[in-house]
Amino acid sequence: METEIVYVSSDRTAKILAWTVVGILFLVYYTLMSVYAPLKKMELLKHEYGYRQGGNNPLDERIFTDSAYLNLLHEKSFLQSRAAMAATDSVYLSINLSDSTINLEISGVTVHKAQIGRISISNILGGGNNYIVLSMLSDPLIINKNFSSIRKEPLMIKMAPRDTSEYVPDIIPDTADYEPVNFIMEMENGIRLHIYQEDRLKLGDGLCRSLFDIYHRFRYTAKTFLRVITFRLPDYQPYIKLRIPRSDAKIIYRALPDKGQIAVYS
Amino acid sequence: MEEEKTPDDGFFTREIIRNGLKWLLIISAVISLLGFLLYGIPALQEIPLSGKTITTNYNELKSDVNYKQQINLLKRDIRSLSRRYNNYTSGQSYMVINTTDNLFYLYRNKRLVRQGHCSTGSFKMLKTEEGRSWIFKTPKGKFRIHGKTVNPYWRRPDWSFVEEGLPIPPEDHYSRWEYGVLGKYALSLGDGYLIHGTLYKRFLGMPVTHGCVRLNDDDLEAVFNTLNIGSKVYIF
Repeated sequence: METEIVYVSSDRTAKILAWTVVGILFLVYYTLMSVYAPLKKMELLKHEYGYRQGGNNPLDERIFTDSAYLNLLHEKSFLQSRAAMAATDSVYLSINLSDSTINLEISGVTVHKAQIGRISISNILGGGNNYIVLSMLSDPLIINKNFSSIRKEPLMIKMAPRDTSEYVPDIIPDTADYEPVNFIMEMENGIRLHIYQEDRLKLGDGLCRSLFDIYHRFRYTAKTFLRVITFRLPDYQPYIKLRIPRSDAKIIYRALPDKGQIAVYS
Repeated sequence: MEEEKTPDDGFFTREIIRNGLKWLLIISAVISLLGFLLYGIPALQEIPLSGKTITTNYNELKSDVNYKQQINLLKRDIRSLSRRYNNYTSGQSYMVINTTDNLFYLYRNKRLVRQGHCSTGSFKMLKTEEGRSWIFKTPKGKFRIHGKTVNPYWRRPDWSFVEEGLPIPPEDHYSRWEYGVLGKYALSLGDGYLIHGTLYKRFLGMPVTHGCVRLNDDDLEAVFNTLNIGSKVYIF
């Protein structure tokens, strides 16, 4: 015999209420885990880059907040990182957030210079005068993954003709091709560099940028979600978001190798 | 005649409104939740790190021996790093090639002396049915001029025959040698890559080459006369 379950109004309300409470509790748990993640990241950085006192001649800890010391450390950190990259023959990027410039360099020679229009940066990096962050930035950041709205190498495959009768001369490339340029580079140490097209040259450029940003927010949220539901702390990824002209963004993205290096002066 | 009203009319209207409101509520809840997860959480993550390091300027610290030692150490490191970094930039003549926009820049004593259009690799991949393939792209990074040639000839590589559907001739076959197609001068970058002239001047500024860098006659002459063997060429 078939049984029919009949929900009375109060049962249904109780169920909805129960699910709402569960949902809210999960959101609270999710929020707490997410908010704790950057603190854990800072702890890890402290452990990796923090100053360790020597036994014989301990340093006065106040030095790490001293303005003269930190200014020099800033300069040294940026130079050290650039010098390490210049030792290779490869193309690298140096970003100076204090004077809003982004340079492509090869072996110490600036081959392309661009002006940054808008900067948005994680507080962990934006603190700037932090001994730990400056120590971390004294090594070049190495690109681990690229996500972009354009291809790094616009390869076109052409099958060779079997004989001269099949031969067709190459057509002139269409230089009027237009694609909005937005990309994200994830570094090996977890830092994310977002470079978005600043100018709106065609209708829909702004929308493309927003959709690109939302898509990657979804990706990061999905990653965080997966970690949280498996009771693991999410990975906090500090970010640097820059807006530069489209032509510069395209040049920079195409010029940097897949595992390219970046120096940042915060 | 008066229209007869049925009691169901009001009931259906109320149902539609109620269902509409329910869906509106559900959609708003989903949008709010997504907004919170995509924008709210990343914003909340920044709060615990918002405290900036407060910089200090203690006078008594400045007289400390350790402090002075640390500052001197830093200054010495900066001087040495600056020297090292500046040494990379030579005062010699060098050339910069932008493969994205197909532009070149020629420098002498760190000053720009000439700039113009060039042609670089087309990013075409030529494939044969037998499985051989070639990618026509200009390499990026730092290069040096390995050699300079006046009135160069071109030794056609295998791909040049494959591309036109011709049979590949033996290594020293006369059909491999072509004169006058590379312009008056050629500068070698190594690995078979050259900076040379072109017959197809209307393609300058476009990515059409098999990896070499093509220039117009005047620019090529200026580059040939400015760069020496060993001069650096930076391609990005």
